[in-house]
Amino acid sequence: MRILVVDDSKAMRLIVVRTLHLAGYEEHEIVQAADGREAVDVIGRQPPDLVLCDWNMPGMSGLELLTGLRNAGWQVPFGFVTSEASPQMREQALAAGAMFLIAKPFTPEDFQQALDPVLA
Amino acid sequence: MTYIPSADDLEVITREVWTTFLDGDPSGLVQAGSADAVDIGADAVTGCVHLSGGYVGSIMLRCSASVARDAAAALFSMSPAEVTHVEVVDALGELANMVGGNVKSMLPGPSTLSLPAVVQGQVAVPGAQVVREVALAWRGETLLVSLWQQAARAA
Repeated sequence: MRILVVDDSKAMRLIVVRTLHLAGYEEHEIVQAADGREAVDVIGRQPPDLVLCDWNMPGMSGLELLTGLRNAGWQVPFGFVTSEASPQMREQALAAGAMFLIAKPFTPEDFQQALDPVLA
Repeated sequence: MTYIPSADDLEVITREVWTTFLDGDPSGLVQAGSADAVDIGADAVTGCVHLSGGYVGSIMLRCSASVARDAAAALFSMSPAEVTHVEVVDALGELANMVGGNVKSMLPGPSTLSLPAVVQGQVAVPGAQVVREVALAWRGETLLVSLWQQAARAA
């Protein structure tokens, strides 16, 4: 399985990758993108099995990325990893086609709970 | 009536971020007394996110350059000596973003959270005032967390 981590913060990408390993997903191939445009390039070259994406990014937000992917016909499983997790945002994320929203700060258990149903 | 997160809320949120991603130890970040008495010093660094919408204001994390460097080192799993300005900006910005995002979820909405900004020194926001502030100590140095609100809407 291939997991794409999208976040403009290198520190957060590192933490997400570390947490994926701690949660038991170290066998999966993990690729990274620093913004929405880079993510589109990565997905176009080789679609991942799951996208873990920040919400608030410069240029293209995570929501814009998800909407663009769905409008283009890409149905890749997509989840948000974001510092904002209000009920309105969860509702917005699910309505746009996201499978889950993980709030920062997160634990390996949070990842397992959200990712196991997708990657099983 | 609008609830504005308390200084205790700021402390709990910041401690959760620090414990989860920096220390793994809830006692690593402790109260440091009155925020009014805090002097970060001339080498202060500030991470900041702005809120607009149902609540207009900012959340700021202010600390010394050495605290910012140590926090970056902890986030990146590097030694402090290896940390560059790029890592400090990334780390403090992301910490401000996480604290700000969690504070935002307690404030009236809908609101939009800005991308984080990190500056050397103190940030001055015209027309805004501090409504909540807490001084915390991490590894013997002070971290100041503050919530600002546009004065026109301040209680």
